[in-house]
Amino acid sequence: MSFTDNIETIFETIDKDNLSAVRESALSSFKTLGLPSARHEEWKYTHIKTKLPETLRLVASQESQVASKLKYFNSIKGTKLVFINGVFSAESSVIIDQSGLTVGSLKELSSQHEAIFTKHFNKATDISKENFAALNTAFAQDGAFIYVKKNTIVEAPVFVFHIYDHASADIFTQSRNLIVVEENADITIVEDFQNNNGEKFYNHVSEVFIGQNAEVNYSLLQLHNQHTTSVNYVEARLEKDARYHITTVTLDGKLVRNNINAYMDGENSLATLNGLYIGKEANHIDNHILVDHRVPNCNSHQVYKGVLDDQSTGVFNGKIFVQKDAQKTNAYQSSKAVLLSDEASMNSKPQLEIFADDVKCSHGAAIGQMSKNELFYLLARGIDKETARGILTYAFANEIIAAVKLPELRTYLDDKLKEKLNITI
Amino acid sequence: MLEIKNLHAKIGDKEILKGLNLTVKAGEVHAIMGPNGTGKSTLASIIAGKEDYEITAGEILFEGKNLLDLSPDERAREGVFLAFQYPVEIPGVSTTNFMKAAVNAKRKHHGQEPIVAKEFLAMMNEKRQLVELDKSYLSRSINEGFSGGEKKRNEIFQMAMLDPKLAILDETDSGLDIDALRIVADGVNKLKSKNNAFLVITHYQRLLNYIVPDFVHIMYDGRVVKTGDKSLALKMEERGYDWIKEEVGV
Ligand SMILES: Nc1ncnc2c1ncn2[C@@H]1O[C@H](COP(=O)(O)OP(=O)(O)O)[C@@H](O)[C@H]1O
Ligand SMILES: [Mg+2]
Repeated sequence: MSFTDNIETIFETIDKDNLSAVRESALSSFKTLGLPSARHEEWKYTHIKTKLPETLRLVASQESQVASKLKYFNSIKGTKLVFINGVFSAESSVIIDQSGLTVGSLKELSSQHEAIFTKHFNKATDISKENFAALNTAFAQDGAFIYVKKNTIVEAPVFVFHIYDHASADIFTQSRNLIVVEENADITIVEDFQNNNGEKFYNHVSEVFIGQNAEVNYSLLQLHNQHTTSVNYVEARLEKDARYHITTVTLDGKLVRNNINAYMDGENSLATLNGLYIGKEANHIDNHILVDHRVPNCNSHQVYKGVLDDQSTGVFNGKIFVQKDAQKTNAYQSSKAVLLSDEASMNSKPQLEIFADDVKCSHGAAIGQMSKNELFYLLARGIDKETARGILTYAFANEIIAAVKLPELRTYLDDKLKEKLNITI
Repeated sequence: MLEIKNLHAKIGDKEILKGLNLTVKAGEVHAIMGPNGTGKSTLASIIAGKEDYEITAGEILFEGKNLLDLSPDERAREGVFLAFQYPVEIPGVSTTNFMKAAVNAKRKHHGQEPIVAKEFLAMMNEKRQLVELDKSYLSRSINEGFSGGEKKRNEIFQMAMLDPKLAILDETDSGLDIDALRIVADGVNKLKSKNNAFLVITHYQRLLNYIVPDFVHIMYDGRVVKTGDKSLALKMEERGYDWIKEEVGV
């Protein structure tokens, strides 16, 4: 028995809102698609179906002690939106007002900004193809709404925290962001998922619209998710001259599936997509990246790095589409993974589909082991094996963290990485 | 300090060391010379603990302890140091962080607290000046983009930081110009004391003008075939290895 068997009954229980029509069609789409089986090409290595809970419990009442779980919350200046077990917590959130910026709970703000909402909601995802995006659209509860008016440079970064601290294992939240950044605007967004209390499930969709000559720096953090099974979509649409930098950092996760999709809709736009993942024990970390070059003169640059220890598994699937009109595309992709144990494994699949003739596309995928010579060099200086392995892993992984633009975040991630690797250098 | 008795070692099916004997006492400098491929680096690597080799006979004692029982990192913390013939480049780790980890590993091993930041910086400054290594190199990734000479100076710098009992210098002089050679040799001479010992592997006599050995060993085909004083190195330089082959009848 799984939640799909009585999905309509569950659907009846959710509040009627301005989304009802969209939800209906998403539900019917999800019913057609179902949950992906191992035969589904995009889910070949990520067998999620049997790992989901039996019920679809969308939210849970929040528990206390949230502040203590956001230790670095106070040290970094910025707007902070806090969602606890899927529910927006106004009392834990801090909003730094700035003219031209609207930020808060999607549930609360969508009706106030109906025109923006209707124009964009569900326009970056393809619910006719994506099972979990359809599920999310049908059942979406709450998430961040970020709307930046044209010419607004948002001064303080916006943090979106999703805290899971409910004791029950069966919550399966469907969180949903809508981010609209108009022309010449600029914003830094940090989204962080933390699970502090046993097994959890979530399915998250973040839609990002980047206007002409606007810039979005987006970091998606999965740092404290040892017992979490999650599917994440970040779907970005870029207009002319837009710049988009997304970094995912996955240091933990029972099962993580990231779908990072960038659609180059406007000429001369730029997307950089970076990712770091570290798997231990039986972690399974799957990054599916798609960059769709639809118009001429765009640049995209992907660098994914992973380290897999114990019995952990990694998946990298990087698609680059260059449509026939997208001449002068410049697309780069690199995927590197290091296996630290004989039992760890990695599946890497670059997929370049190029229909234009005047383009520059390059890709490289490497799966390797830690260099014995490097390891011996450290050992020969008296550093014990565990620490030496940690230092070399850090050396490999650090490139992704070092490229994070927000200095306080960079420092924080650097510390987290060292903590994860148990090194103090 | 170091006693190697009848050491036999192979890699895969290939026997490289074929009954090597060597005794080094505290306060001494030993030079090892010998043609390419004769097993000098193999010997150095085995003392340092590289795992690729199979020891088929013999033993190595270091201060009376069986060295072959210790892991490479334990050996280093006990005071064995290898200056690599080919120092490794490690992108992403600064020499400063590397040395901090190494110094603290040694201190922990000897029951000491981690070094305080100020003391560490002062020590780094003092030791890098010993080999005239610019400060900027310490914050760069280990050996990355360093010239051959800079890599070798970095090895001697690391040696100074770790203050080993037994230091093995594997062809530290090759690829060095005369100025760099002098810098390296001066560094070694300043570190020399009655409590430590040096094993200097070299092809050329010229290094031994600066680091004066107490003993010179000629190694050939996996064995020490002749031992003498510093004049033996000069003789080698003049007469070449063929002379040795005839002399010892190999
Ligand atoms: N990893 C290895 N695998 C196979 N043979 C090796 C390896 N390392 C060294 N050898 C061989 O062992 C012999 C001794 O090498 P080495 O110790 O480097 O000599 P030296 O330092 O005196 O020039 C050479 O014949 C070399 O080819
Ligand atoms: Mg050699």
